[in-house]
Amino acid sequence: MTRYILWIVGGLFLGAIVHLVVILVVPLLAERNVWAKVSAMDALEKVALIEAPVAGEPNSFDLDPGLLYAVCRLNIAEGPGALEGELPASFWSIAVFEPGGTIVYSTTNRASNGRSVNLGIFNPAQTRLLAEQQLQIEEGLLIVESPGDDIFVLVRLWPGYTALAARYRASLSALTCRVVR
Amino acid sequence: MRFVSGLILGIFVALLVGFGASFYALEDGRLFGALRIGPWAAWPGAGTDNVDPYTRAFLARSGQLQLGRSEGMRFIASTDSGGTPLRRQCRYQIDGTTPVATMWTLYARAPDSAVIGVPDRRPFIDSVTIPRHPDGRLTIRAGPGAVPGSWLATPGDGEYMLVLSIYDTSVFAGLGATLDALPVIYPEGCQ
Repeated sequence: MTRYILWIVGGLFLGAIVHLVVILVVPLLAERNVWAKVSAMDALEKVALIEAPVAGEPNSFDLDPGLLYAVCRLNIAEGPGALEGELPASFWSIAVFEPGGTIVYSTTNRASNGRSVNLGIFNPAQTRLLAEQQLQIEEGLLIVESPGDDIFVLVRLWPGYTALAARYRASLSALTCRVVR
Repeated sequence: MRFVSGLILGIFVALLVGFGASFYALEDGRLFGALRIGPWAAWPGAGTDNVDPYTRAFLARSGQLQLGRSEGMRFIASTDSGGTPLRRQCRYQIDGTTPVATMWTLYARAPDSAVIGVPDRRPFIDSVTIPRHPDGRLTIRAGPGAVPGSWLATPGDGEYMLVLSIYDTSVFAGLGATLDALPVIYPEGCQ
């Protein structure tokens, strides 16, 4: 009996190790992660709208149906990324994601200069260069440092009323997203 | 023979514990770092770049787009205030106040992330369209049948969750706003 208890204790110990390995390995092996979904969209260096979730339909990004969404994917190895344009005078927010689905930066319209969106995304080397050269930073430019070169930017915009949704969607489409080479 | 049976038992326990605990941790959502207020739960760490390994694994597996810490916070309730799982065929009264924020939305979500609603009606309620009581409280009813006032439709059957997203809230800025002010969820009967 004692021998079986020892086997069970050993199994529990080994199970804890298996559990930790699974938790650490899942991010490396997940195929339907957020980066894969965004990469499947036509959003490389351009803004693509994400359809608002409809009742009863799949909502793979698990989005709030009350807001409008636009996404843009960038590789900033060759130069910093820029998201520019104007959005309506409503609540909007911007989040910069790394491929693992974690957020490296987020902000809202309160941090912006009025309605304008002016975001610069730099990798660590570009940020260092920016600091060394002591360049004049344009007023209202939000500077984001990304730990890696692959990123995507998600813009959320609140239309407030259904009647405004089409116009607000057009505002999102008019944003420019590019790599400054 | 006893060695072989012991070895099989040990491996069985290891696989059961290892994969079972992993499945639970990733299926239920993040075990650690949860902020719980009544029936509502949120994961503030998910919106930062300093996520724990469980949240990182959950995000990778689910493919969800999280809310950044500066953008706001999303609370999920899968039970009423008494701890009973929310069911679509039951009616609930959601009553109370919300934390100070620029805006908020409330919607019903199926376990597979699909939004719950009926055709020709917005599947959510937001801070603009909802009437409030003179003392600032709000009352929303969620259930399968239409009711007067603010109604969140939950047609069909099965369990579901309520998702309350609070945008641009000052609760993290130490400006006096607190997260204690989340509504309670009372059951009002089932069909």
